[in-house]
Amino acid sequence: MATEVEVTVVTMRDIFQDEAGRKSRFSDEYRDQSAQIILDKQDLAKLGAKDGQKLRVLVKNDVGSVVVAAKTSEDNPHPGLAFMYNSPWSNQLVSDAVSESSIPGFKSIKAIVSAAEEKVTQISEIQARIKG
Amino acid sequence: MAICTGCSLLCEDIEAAEKDGALTHVKNLCRKGHGHFQAAFTERTVPMIDGEQVDLDRAITKAAEILKSAKSPLLYGWSNSTLEAQAVGIELAEKLGATIDDTSSSCQGILMERILSGKLPTCTLDDVRNYADTSIFWGSDPSSSHPRHLSRFSYYPRGEKRQKSYEEERTCIAVDVRKSATANLCPNYYFQVAPSGDAQFMEAILAVLEGKIPRVGDKKKMIGLGSILKKTEWGVIFAGLGMVYSLQEKMDLFEKLLARLNEITTFKVVPMVGHYNMRGFNELLLEKTGFINRVSFKDGKPAHGPEHSVVAAAKTCDAALIIGSDPFSALPFGTARALAKVPLIAIDPRRSLTTDGAKVVIPSALSGLEAGGTGVRMDGVKIKFEPIMKSDLPTDEQILTRIMEAI
Amino acid sequence: MVGAMEIYMLLPKTNCKKCGLDTCMAFAVGLLGREKKIDECTPLIEEKKYEAKLKKLREVMAPLENASETGLIIHPEKCFGCGNCVVACPVNVAAEPTRCGVGLGPQSDKVILKVEDGIVVCGNLEECRRFGPNKTLCNACTATCPSKAIEFV
Repeated sequence: MATEVEVTVVTMRDIFQDEAGRKSRFSDEYRDQSAQIILDKQDLAKLGAKDGQKLRVLVKNDVGSVVVAAKTSEDNPHPGLAFMYNSPWSNQLVSDAVSESSIPGFKSIKAIVSAAEEKVTQISEIQARIKG
Repeated sequence: MAICTGCSLLCEDIEAAEKDGALTHVKNLCRKGHGHFQAAFTERTVPMIDGEQVDLDRAITKAAEILKSAKSPLLYGWSNSTLEAQAVGIELAEKLGATIDDTSSSCQGILMERILSGKLPTCTLDDVRNYADTSIFWGSDPSSSHPRHLSRFSYYPRGEKRQKSYEEERTCIAVDVRKSATANLCPNYYFQVAPSGDAQFMEAILAVLEGKIPRVGDKKKMIGLGSILKKTEWGVIFAGLGMVYSLQEKMDLFEKLLARLNEITTFKVVPMVGHYNMRGFNELLLEKTGFINRVSFKDGKPAHGPEHSVVAAAKTCDAALIIGSDPFSALPFGTARALAKVPLIAIDPRRSLTTDGAKVVIPSALSGLEAGGTGVRMDGVKIKFEPIMKSDLPTDEQILTRIMEAI
Repeated sequence: MVGAMEIYMLLPKTNCKKCGLDTCMAFAVGLLGREKKIDECTPLIEEKKYEAKLKKLREVMAPLENASETGLIIHPEKCFGCGNCVVACPVNVAAEPTRCGVGLGPQSDKVILKVEDGIVVCGNLEECRRFGPNKTLCNACTATCPSKAIEFV
């Protein structure tokens, strides 16, 4: 079985991804900018990524799953902590079971990451899942 | 001068003129604002019912029918509409006995409540430019989310009492889980917190202010932070989603921290509101109902509570009107899924995941570019704007008025 | 950005003085400061054994070709359009104290830096403090950039 890494995903904003989303939510540019997860170097190595090698990963939890591109973090080491840009991709993993404040846990998503063979999840697939 | 509605800074110094249906050589718009206005030229919506293009009148009639026959409709979005449109929206909710909620509900709501009720001291961004010597970006990264925040108000401009500005008189501090673009501009004053560690970090500040040893963080650095705070003449904390999401039920601790800081010196809070008129909606609804969001008019009298938040109401409503927002993209999967099961009316200038899933789509003019009106900046300053371009598209206000008339 | 040592390693390292300077290291510094041109090193151009070095040198020097008279390079693809540099630049502030000085975009054409179509552009470089023989190493625009979209070479 492929190696799995447990992470807490914190979502964040990025000006280039935001710009792409304003122009079109359906463009390849928006998909490429959004469908990414930024992982700690060691976590990425555990998943089998060699230096400079591009890796696609499956990020899943009880809510859902997405296949996204994995990127190395340039910050100080943060094993177990991952970052995604706020997007339909990250929201596939956010639970609507909320605490007292009724705010979804957009910045504390528990998920499991493993290397993936599949293509990056497309916006049309996300739309189909929402439609059910 | 034009106004940019790309974020809640509502920058007022934009020079833009239309030429042959396009905007070129636009001055002073940041990358985000530029993307916002360029968006007017791609992926525009047309009136639709069940995926078929119809004329505007039919779409409006259909929308009114859906809302009229619904037992518990939800009206959601609002933070990208003018105050004028929001006022009609609240009236519509009252008339329908509907639930009304805005994006603040899963965003800055719990902070905004405390700002608008006076529990947290606040100020304008012009005050910040004129007086602030310490700006703390806490769980916020304005360089990415509000690109001109630092250059217009919080770090680089000269102000009445801050003629030497960033070079000598202003200190910027970033508190974040990651080294953001903003943190890169003040690397010596970047304080990294653990995810959900903001409450602990507040306790640590309170400890160093009492001369005690902090439990978290580098002790020397924390004591250094304590002395910066004590020496501050006029400070401001720009509270972002990072802080709000991390604190949730512990917002009282933030109030405690501000109360303590204000015993020592002056410290204010400015909420880092995202959409250009979220605060406008919150202020308006507060004035009309006593609550900033999550209101139901089902029993005539406004009722407020978490059961009327979009996340909860999505599961109990039997129709929804979504205006200027894309919950299918921005809210949790389960909420999008629940909304997709009821007849949806989407009023939006642009195609989105939500308009794709809506039963009725009504195109509207893009505020700031094609429609005028009033917005409320993140700090509560009202800003009026005129459209930059001529457009035949109806405004949100006109659409809502017509729907109301048809009910 | 490329450094003098990296450039030096791509030179003949013979100190032949044909370029008018005493050493190849001095020539490397001259190239970096854009006071010298690659073509002035005639052995590098003429002798076949330096062919690979010449090719590499042209590659590493390419970004500098786009630099302005003051060595200012703007990477538009990295720029946020935030205007930090517009407001921090001392020449901008002196030219428009009631606009750039207080955080607003400039109105006149007297400034060096301004934001157009979401991205910073430069002009009037002769006004820059890095221009000419009496230059000072002002770095207000690069130090305030959140994305390293501006640099000096």
